[in-house]
Amino acid sequence: MPTQGDLDRQIEHLMECKPLTEAEVKTLCDQARAILVEEWNVQPVKCPVTVCGDIHGQFYDLIELFRIGGNAPDTNYLFMGDYVDRGYYSVETVTLLVALKVRYRDRITILRGNHESRQITQVYGFYDECLRKYGNANVWKYFTDLFDYLPLTALIESQIFCLHGGLSPSLDTLDNIRALDRIQEVPHEGPMCDLLWSDPDDRCGWGISPRGAGYTFGQDIAAQFNHTNGLTLISRAHQLVMEGYNWCQEKNVVTVFSAPNYCYRCGNMAAILEIGENMEQNFLQFDPAPRQIEPDTSRKTPDYFL
Amino acid sequence: MDSPSNLTSLSEETHEEEEEEQQQHHHQSKASSVSSSAYSSIPNRPPIQASSQKYSPIHAMGYFDQEDDIHIPDSNDVFHLYKAGLDGPVVFCLHGGGYCGLSFALAASKIKEKARVVAMDLRGHGKSSTENELNISIETLCDDVVAVLKTLFGDTPPAIILVGHSMGGSVAIQVAAKKALSTLSGLVVVDVVEGTAMASLIHMQKILSNRMHHFSTIEKAIEWSVRGGSLRNIESARVSIPGTLKYDDSKNCYIYRTQLEETEQYWRGWYEGLSEKFLSCPAPKLLLLAGTDRLDRALTIGQMQGKFQMVVVRHTGHAIQEDVPDEFANLILNFISRNRIGPRGIEIPGIRRPSQFQP
Repeated sequence: MPTQGDLDRQIEHLMECKPLTEAEVKTLCDQARAILVEEWNVQPVKCPVTVCGDIHGQFYDLIELFRIGGNAPDTNYLFMGDYVDRGYYSVETVTLLVALKVRYRDRITILRGNHESRQITQVYGFYDECLRKYGNANVWKYFTDLFDYLPLTALIESQIFCLHGGLSPSLDTLDNIRALDRIQEVPHEGPMCDLLWSDPDDRCGWGISPRGAGYTFGQDIAAQFNHTNGLTLISRAHQLVMEGYNWCQEKNVVTVFSAPNYCYRCGNMAAILEIGENMEQNFLQFDPAPRQIEPDTSRKTPDYFL
Repeated sequence: MDSPSNLTSLSEETHEEEEEEQQQHHHQSKASSVSSSAYSSIPNRPPIQASSQKYSPIHAMGYFDQEDDIHIPDSNDVFHLYKAGLDGPVVFCLHGGGYCGLSFALAASKIKEKARVVAMDLRGHGKSSTENELNISIETLCDDVVAVLKTLFGDTPPAIILVGHSMGGSVAIQVAAKKALSTLSGLVVVDVVEGTAMASLIHMQKILSNRMHHFSTIEKAIEWSVRGGSLRNIESARVSIPGTLKYDDSKNCYIYRTQLEETEQYWRGWYEGLSEKFLSCPAPKLLLLAGTDRLDRALTIGQMQGKFQMVVVRHTGHAIQEDVPDEFANLILNFISRNRIGPRGIEIPGIRRPSQFQP
């Protein structure tokens, strides 16, 4: 078993955007699984804590996030999923976050996003990146097996409910969520899928999500959910918002998105949400890290476009 | 067209034929030498015949139920339609540049189990015949589609899901953006994105000129489409390619029905502003992409805000509906059922909470 010293060295190594070896990843994922299996579907979190949205493999922007928000473990962090896919450094990003989780289990909470899934990562980059960096799919398998254990939601001081996507018409209470069997691949439909895929909407009630998975929920739904469960706020990620954060539904819901200039082309700011010792809220916005690799302009264009 | 380039392509074709024959001789002799099956004593067929059977045309009526010509009132324009299915909303299919309505034949044979399918030959394509075959500007193509739908359904159209591939995807988006269809219930765009389309236009003339242009037989054209890589599904090529050809009496060979090279002035118009128009369409939207994610900035933002459904279909070329017709049909049918599109439109305005039904 690696000692804390080993882990510290690995974290130092990862902070320089250098991947671990396949064997190190395997050991790390085994350790992380043992920790995550003990966590709840609604994982309790204490304040102060800094809440973060999508990262999507944008490693240097994650380092920028730590520079803005403070280093772990000096700052407690709650990440709301989508660590992999799209960006160029999914491997380094997710390995670093999992290593921090293993090293500082009570100071870092990592939730599951809709991209923490076998099916999605095969389409949007993480799988291919693992093949490219390790020459085989083992590391992809270690991580996607681990993703099944990630908590679905978190609850800060019984007041702020945090999750990746949004609400589900099948889940009225936090106890409904606690009763889910989460240790599985993200299903195509149903309550667990909804938590990772749903979006708030201007229209009242439930709607069919244009995404093809999950639902849209109106302000009436969010207000009722908060009231039923004694909550002050639903904090979620999943949607790009140009300012990095966005209040909606009369401050029943806030969206936090932490991948600046998403996909190296969207021109958006990123943000994180600091929850203070007295539950006071403070948003920190940030731009892309100064050191940026230019987007890959050699993306294959189709042979025939008529 | 008596340019030297024609001679070149003719001689290339002959060359390729010889090469193929040699290859097939080679394959067959190799196969027969190692084969120990009971059939090994059967003499080899002449290779040309085997090839022509493998690539022989298939009639579309095994896939569609009927074909019709629609005369547009007060004009001399006649559009050819392929139809399938009896009930449900209408899946109205628009093919890409140089393709024809038969591009959707295999998918239609599956979609028709739960919806109606209409695929039209656009102006200058397939069996449609119009006064100006070369004017395939986006405006004209959109007007044609609206006129066909109006002639077909009058003032009481059923729910319509517009499905467009490539250039046809652009037409579908722009018809939707014009808000000309009161019963538009869904928009499906197949492998076209403004940013990447615009970026690849500069290569188009070269790609078009690199195609083989003359075929001694329809079989040769079908074979070329598969071996050249533009289509990956032989069965679909055998159905759809015949509709993209015409016989040239002066040259005694088959040539492309549509002279795409002559239409360059319209290409930019097909794609300019497409992403914003797609995002602004209020109907449910599905974007199908072949192989890789090719989203431009506007669509990346739109997708990441959850404004449409995107599916990256793997192991397929540009013509997704032809290469993987069953998967394509399932995606269309799932899109219809998920969005609850019935024969008269989206059937249930809201969703009742399932928990209300719990005891």
